[in-house]
Amino acid sequence: MEVNHQTAGRNETMSVSFLLNGEHIQLNVSPVARAVDLIRGELDQTGTKISCGIGRCGACSILVNEKLMVSCLLLAYQLDGTSVTTIEGLSSQDEIHPIQKAFLEEGGFQCGYCTPGMVLATKYLLDSNAEPDQHAIQEALSGNLCRCTGYGGIIRSVRCATSNQEGVR
Amino acid sequence: MKKNIRPDGKEKVTGRLKYLTDLAFPNMLYGKILRSPYPHARILSISTDKAKQLPGVQAVITHKDVPGLNGFGIVRPDQPVLCKDIVRYVGDAVAAVAADSIEIASRALELIDVQYEPLPVLDSPEKALEASAPLLHPDGNVLHRASFQKGDIEAEFSKCTTVVEETYHVPRQLHAYMETEGGVIVPEKGGGLTVYVGTQHGFKDRFQLSRILGVSEADIRIVSSPMGGSFGGKDELNIQPYGALLAIATGKPVKIHQTRQESMRSSIKRHPMMITMKTGVDRAGKLRAHQTTIVADTGAYATLGPAILDFAVEHTCGPYLIPAVKTNGVSIFTNNGVSGEFRGFGGNQITFALEGQIDRLAAAIGIDGIDMRRRNIRNEHDLGPLGQRIAETNGASDVLQSAAAVYAEKKRLLSNQDPWKRIGTGMAITMHGGGLGFGRLDPAGGRLSLKEDGEIEISFGFEEAGQGILGVIEAITTEQLGCAKEDISIVIGDTSLVPSSGSTTASRGTSMVWHSLQRLKKPFLQKLLARAAGIMGMKEEQLSIGPGGIWQNGECRLSFRELVSEQEPIIISTQFDFPVSPDPIDSAHFLYTYSGVVAQVEVDLLTGRINVGELHQSISAGPVVNEMGYLGQIEGGGVMAIGYTLMEDVIMADGHYVTENLDSYLIPGIKDVPFDLQMKAIESLPEEDHHGPRGVGEIGTVAVAPAIANAIWDAIGLRVSQLPVKPEAVLKSTKERGVLHGSQSSNSGAK
Repeated sequence: MEVNHQTAGRNETMSVSFLLNGEHIQLNVSPVARAVDLIRGELDQTGTKISCGIGRCGACSILVNEKLMVSCLLLAYQLDGTSVTTIEGLSSQDEIHPIQKAFLEEGGFQCGYCTPGMVLATKYLLDSNAEPDQHAIQEALSGNLCRCTGYGGIIRSVRCATSNQEGVR
Repeated sequence: MKKNIRPDGKEKVTGRLKYLTDLAFPNMLYGKILRSPYPHARILSISTDKAKQLPGVQAVITHKDVPGLNGFGIVRPDQPVLCKDIVRYVGDAVAAVAADSIEIASRALELIDVQYEPLPVLDSPEKALEASAPLLHPDGNVLHRASFQKGDIEAEFSKCTTVVEETYHVPRQLHAYMETEGGVIVPEKGGGLTVYVGTQHGFKDRFQLSRILGVSEADIRIVSSPMGGSFGGKDELNIQPYGALLAIATGKPVKIHQTRQESMRSSIKRHPMMITMKTGVDRAGKLRAHQTTIVADTGAYATLGPAILDFAVEHTCGPYLIPAVKTNGVSIFTNNGVSGEFRGFGGNQITFALEGQIDRLAAAIGIDGIDMRRRNIRNEHDLGPLGQRIAETNGASDVLQSAAAVYAEKKRLLSNQDPWKRIGTGMAITMHGGGLGFGRLDPAGGRLSLKEDGEIEISFGFEEAGQGILGVIEAITTEQLGCAKEDISIVIGDTSLVPSSGSTTASRGTSMVWHSLQRLKKPFLQKLLARAAGIMGMKEEQLSIGPGGIWQNGECRLSFRELVSEQEPIIISTQFDFPVSPDPIDSAHFLYTYSGVVAQVEVDLLTGRINVGELHQSISAGPVVNEMGYLGQIEGGGVMAIGYTLMEDVIMADGHYVTENLDSYLIPGIKDVPFDLQMKAIESLPEEDHHGPRGVGEIGTVAVAPAIANAIWDAIGLRVSQLPVKPEAVLKSTKERGVLHGSQSSNSGAK
């Protein structure tokens, strides 16, 4: 039997259910839909950005079961049964996350397009390493590209977030 | 210096800010653009029938569907919106589709049948200048020539004791803004069109689109801000014409957001240049003669190519006094993409070559590079590089002095190294013109209003691309008026709401905001105080503006809201031109900024890899408006230039892009840059200077490459004349000269 890979699955859908920033989501998706398109499109969470589309730049980073992942290389159905945190899930209308506060006060952004990914990558780092050294910071953020800051402001933000975190404990 | 949090900061760190590519509208369609598979070809036929029949396709357009001028370009509209008979690069658009989904639009592109007859590909300026080369444009393959001459070049060369000649090659650089081009174009109910697409000059886009669509400018509204980066790259039109034509054809909102590959293929890039310099010094180490030829590959269309070449010619001598100068530049059409405006605007290319010459000459006559520069540096009262009077500052010698001190310190602190590594330190300086230059239309302006709700609104026709113009506007407005940031609202980036301020380019934003406030402040405050005096029954002299409203005797007595209640809003506008030299020399600049860069590199002799361990920039650009914004521009510019020096090259083969995405076109990641970038702002200006803070959008990118090149020479004795410096070039050079197994003083052989 000849299968047309171009059109296979175009009209089929799959049911997925997952937690998005604590909220239960259940919907049908195309088996070939990318997670990033579902999040930015149907779910209208546009804090998750899209830039290279090949997993190099980290602009589309999200946390899946608290692990940092690029949503351009995940298919939407792969979110089934997971708990997803996007940048929108880090803050409420009244209160911003201490890492976001650090980026704000230390100038860890300019155009802001890489910022959601940077903030989530920083969260992923600090969740597992409360006192990251230079090497750990470089390692943790090496999957996220920024074209504006030269990383100076981002590094100061991560350091500030680290010391704020120490103060809390 | 103030460390202000940017007004757009909270929205950015929380991900709540809606970029124009994040927008969605009811009944929105998705657009895709069909671009040429050939770098140069004749179009024999275009058939869109099959594509139109695909379910979900709402419109397919070709050149036949362009009602107005089928062309665009800031300087001259030589780039077809949709090609009719010839394609001149692989980004040339031939058709566009609007469909119910991106998938259907993509499928429809595959169903458009275009027959081409391939033509010879001019993939280098040399080929384009051959007598047998086909002409890419009616006037031939030369876009522009620019030259400058002063003194008797031959006579001065004859007085030189040492002459150095070198040819420098600099690459095609991608802006690599993280947000690729895109947005939504919406047909409005009452007629007219709203274009939600980022650009650096909304009114210019409106003008260009009006010409293409055959629609009056009044019927087009451009919402052009915010953007996820631009760096010059979104100054020219990109997807706007296609989105607009499709929106008109379908009567529905059309979204186009280019993928990175589509962006790489169609976007403008920094001009690759081949620069040959012959420079001579006399016995006293004084520069006497400097002869330069510049050949720029401008690609298929003009955009701002002519102005970029003019800028490179102007900056050929940098901040040095040279009695005889002869410069000839030519910008050549090829089938290689399109080169255009990019942060630094030709200055980066020419400064790499010029500073390379200075270092080579210093080594040749046995003095150090700083001494060489001191002997030739311009002073406060010297004329500008084209012989024009410029705004006088001591910037050049200030940054040289600062960089010299940093250089000495970095040299002293050299640490021990692995035997297979070499550390080197280098420096370079530059001066860089702001604004568009003499003889170019360069209007600016702004508007200050006390609105009915008591809010002070400050508005400009500028765009926020990430550079921090919002923070600059907030800082300057509150400082000049004396009010609090809570008292003001800032309006930019929407042609239906803002006055014309000129382009958000050429490091002009900060300057023009400050100049505008100088003009707006007095009449605005006078009106406010006169009205307050009337209401309060007091004399104007007793009152002042402060946070919240009108102050008297150290207390706020009347709020801005009370001031405007039941009375007319107060509106003050200003229009003026960017300051230019009193000397009518075409394209000459008047306001310059200066930088002195020190770089330290570590070269791994086993891998050829170069690591920039330190980067220190001393900047002279007048007072700092917003510390974080200024620092960010210089640090970010510096790292972008590290990429230019060591990593970045948009490789083309036979007119096709080889590097198609960020996996093969590498920009610096966090591991590729110094962990502690350093910057010193020299804020002083002469007392009589009345031009205030200068913009720093570009200066941080300009002199980094030659400083790194100089450091590489210091480390391993390799004289860099081609960027980016690849590990292969390092290994070839060090192996040939036996650097790894030779003496520690690796550059001794090169002297």
